Amino acid sequence: MAVETDADMLVRVQEGNFSIDQELERVRARSTKIGGIAMFLGTARDHSKGHDVSSMAFEHYEGMAQKKLKEIRERALQDFDIIEALVLHRYGPIEIGENIVLIIVGAQHRADAFKACQWCIDELKKITPIWKMEYTPQGDVWVEEHP
Amino acid sequence: MVQVRLFGMLKTLVAGSNMLEVPLSDGALVKDLVDCLQIEYPELGKLLQQKKVVVSVNQEIAHWETALVESDEIALLPPFAGGT
Repeated sequence: MAVETDADMLVRVQEGNFSIDQELERVRARSTKIGGIAMFLGTARDHSKGHDVSSMAFEHYEGMAQKKLKEIRERALQDFDIIEALVLHRYGPIEIGENIVLIIVGAQHRADAFKACQWCIDELKKITPIWKMEYTPQGDVWVEEHP
Repeated sequence: MVQVRLFGMLKTLVAGSNMLEVPLSDGALVKDLVDCLQIEYPELGKLLQQKKVVVSVNQEIAHWETALVESDEIALLPPFAGGT
C-alpha cells in the first residue's frame, strides 16, 4: 500500500466534503514564514446558463485528474513566490450550496498568494479531466454538452 | 484490439457505454483509432475530427501520430468542466 505523504494530502480528488478549517491549518502549518493566505472555495449554485439546477455530480478520470492537480501545485510553487499550495476537488453527487473545489495558497505576502490562487483555479479548469452533470427540472445536462 | 474509455457526455453518443473495444493492431496510430470510431460513431468521430474531444494515452494528451499498443490506457476526453 502506498504511503500517504504530506504532498498527497495537499492535492486530492475526493468524494466526501472537506473541512475548510482543517485544510487551512494544513497549509498554515507548513511554514512559519507564511504571512498571507489566499483561498478560493467553489460551491454548487442553483442556477446555470439560464436554467435552474437541482443538484449536480462530478465525474473525474481517476489517476489523470490527481496527476494534473499535482502538476498545478508544483508549477504554482515553481512560478510564484509562494510557500505552499493546496488543491482539492470533489467528485460524485453534490447538493446545492455544498463545497466543490478548494484552493489555498500560503505566501509571505498577500499579492503573491492572491495571484497564485487565481492561477491555480484557472489552470484547474483548463487542464484537469473533470466533468459536471447538472440535474435540472428539464432533465440532466452534461455541462459543455455541445463542446 | 484496444480498449478506449469514455467520459462525460461522450457516453451519451455510444449508448451509455463507458468503454469501447476497437479492433486495432499494435503500432496503429491515434488517427487510425479516430478513423475507426468515425465509421461506427459518426457524431463522436466528428467531435474528434474537430479536436473538441481529445485523446489521451497513458494519461497524457496524445497527438494523432502517437502509436498505440494493446496495453495502453486510452481515453476520449470531452471539454473539461471542473471547478465552478
